Amino acid sequence: MKTIDIARRAARSLRSAKTRTILTSLAIGVGAFTIAISIAAGEGARQYADTLIGSNINPRALFIVKDGSLFEGGASPLSGSGIREYDPDVGMTASGASIKLMTQEQVDELAARSDLENVVPTYSPSVTYMVFGDSDKKFSADVAAYDATITGEAAYGTLPPLGEGLAADEVVMPESFATTLVEQGVIDTEADLVGTRVVMTASRPTSTATADELAQAYATGGAAAVAALSQPETKEFAFTVRALSKQSATALVTGTSIQIPVSAAREMSEYTTEGTPAYQRYVGVQALAVEGEDPDEVKAALLEDEFYAQTAEDLQGVIFSIVNILQGIVLGFGVIALIASVFGIINTQYISVLERTREIGLMKALGMRGGGVSRLFQFEAAWIGFLGGVIGAAIAVVLGILFNPTITELLGLGEGNYLLIFQPLPLIGMVIVLMLIAMLAGWFPARKAAKLDPIEALRTE
Amino acid sequence: MIEVKNLTKTYGKKQSSFKALDDVSFTIPDGASVAIVGKSGSGKSTLMHAMSGLDRPEVGEVVIDGTNILKLKNKAVDRFRSEKIGFIFQAFFVQANETAYDNVALPLEIADIAGRDRRKRVETALAVVDLTDKIKSKAGNLSGGQKQRLAIARAIVNKPSIIFADEPTGNLDSATGEKIEELLFELNKKGGSTLIIVTHDHDLASKCDIQIRIKDGKIDTIVQAKTSKVKKTPKKAGVKL
Repeated sequence: MKTIDIARRAARSLRSAKTRTILTSLAIGVGAFTIAISIAAGEGARQYADTLIGSNINPRALFIVKDGSLFEGGASPLSGSGIREYDPDVGMTASGASIKLMTQEQVDELAARSDLENVVPTYSPSVTYMVFGDSDKKFSADVAAYDATITGEAAYGTLPPLGEGLAADEVVMPESFATTLVEQGVIDTEADLVGTRVVMTASRPTSTATADELAQAYATGGAAAVAALSQPETKEFAFTVRALSKQSATALVTGTSIQIPVSAAREMSEYTTEGTPAYQRYVGVQALAVEGEDPDEVKAALLEDEFYAQTAEDLQGVIFSIVNILQGIVLGFGVIALIASVFGIINTQYISVLERTREIGLMKALGMRGGGVSRLFQFEAAWIGFLGGVIGAAIAVVLGILFNPTITELLGLGEGNYLLIFQPLPLIGMVIVLMLIAMLAGWFPARKAAKLDPIEALRTE
Repeated sequence: MIEVKNLTKTYGKKQSSFKALDDVSFTIPDGASVAIVGKSGSGKSTLMHAMSGLDRPEVGEVVIDGTNILKLKNKAVDRFRSEKIGFIFQAFFVQANETAYDNVALPLEIADIAGRDRRKRVETALAVVDLTDKIKSKAGNLSGGQKQRLAIARAIVNKPSIIFADEPTGNLDSATGEKIEELLFELNKKGGSTLIIVTHDHDLASKCDIQIRIKDGKIDTIVQAKTSKVKKTPKKAGVKL
């Protein structure tokens, strides 16, 4: 019997048992729905992560450290409470782990390499307070070195083109900061902030003065000069606001700190740490692989010189592995629902074989091969799998389209980003896999049908 | 020609064994109408199953057109049935939820007849049994007589050389049954296919060229109508006619 005839007969049998067919398909549909949602959510999350990384990290970017354990997730051997030999290069990360820090010589060594450019150590500039324009109100905010490797978007003013840094006296401020300053009455409108002078004051504790210094101060300035010696030292840095960066839903850095030129960041950071063990010690450096160099090869070359690097791709991998785990969990539920529906198919098809004993007997008497009978029942199961897959996928797509805007709003994903992204190919693939699973489930009843003895089957009561 | 030689079918083992057919031999010429008559349990159905290749007794031969079908492989027997045999059953066994067309097309699909040929053959077969106007009707909506005519159309659609009819009128009232009988004999005479009717109805049996009477698995008598060409093969002598 030809396959097309078997498929047609299978479809007809299912049509004549509509209720049973639809109910069994719905059972598969539940599994298909869950799987379709998990595929769509995985795809959506991955695209979102891509956008996120694309707008925050240059694909050529490398983060280089001296202590490889930072990337391995495990505790550094340097962490712990045990006593150990003092090493001036060991310091703390923001999360409190002890790691081997990078020295200025090592940073210079990296900067001298031909396969790296834009080498910027992780300066930690800090500002005690700042004032804007003629106002005497003092504000405090985080400052960070301007990252020339990412394209940003300016709300007011203009940003330097990609790859170019700020001039030594320019800063970029988040748009939201301007809003606060308008509320505080420092400026009239947000646009006014562009071109405004900002004076940042950094301070550092004074080192204990020596007896000679004290004596000299007393001799020249009296008691007031001695008091001034124990005051924290301060230094002013003056800038002009060049631009306000637009608040983007996918931007990670720009929304939270004032970006100052790299040179100023270094100066500020060195000023506040001078004389402390943190002076010219860095967790790591940000760098770009030179145009045309494969970041992975640069990473390997760095490893030979005992530098540990993470590429943009590595970072992507970290984010994706989280997405994959979450997707796996949802997928797991779908698979469980499918397993339940597999038993549904087996059960339905067994009943169908029993109900149609006569029909099977007749077909076998008319010379249909056992294989043909078996295929007929497996095709029926495949049709059920097809229907279930299409029903589940269709419901998932419709609900996804309906609820995507709401989900985007609730999760704050930003305009144009959707959590559920349906692509035809994975959905078609899912339906095909469901058909195969259904056929597999239909194998047991189909075998029973194939082995039926036509004489027994046609025996009248 | 159908030659049945020393056919023996045993059910069960050793002490509890029971011979449904016991050394049955006879010959049927092409185109004859034959009645296999016997009470229920006499072995007449077992004989029909063996002759049509549905059952495969261990002892004896069923030689049809020179081939012993009991020695054929499963696949070959299935093809033999799909190409050479038509079946008509007491309970019709038409698929109630399918159309008359699809019911009649089933043997053609099984025999891998191409689509173009198929429609023509189905239409011809339905015309023979006078069901042309019911081609699109669901078989379940037909009357008993129409169902059996549909079953006959299904049996003849593939132009088999032998048609087995198992109590073809058993589920019908006598008037309808008579029409079915007429149709069967007409097809036998005109179409030239051998008709083998299994029945316990002596009136029906008497209309056949040959009556093979079975009792307790053995041939009781073989009665031939005056025009018949067949005789019982003498058991021991093995002489064939």
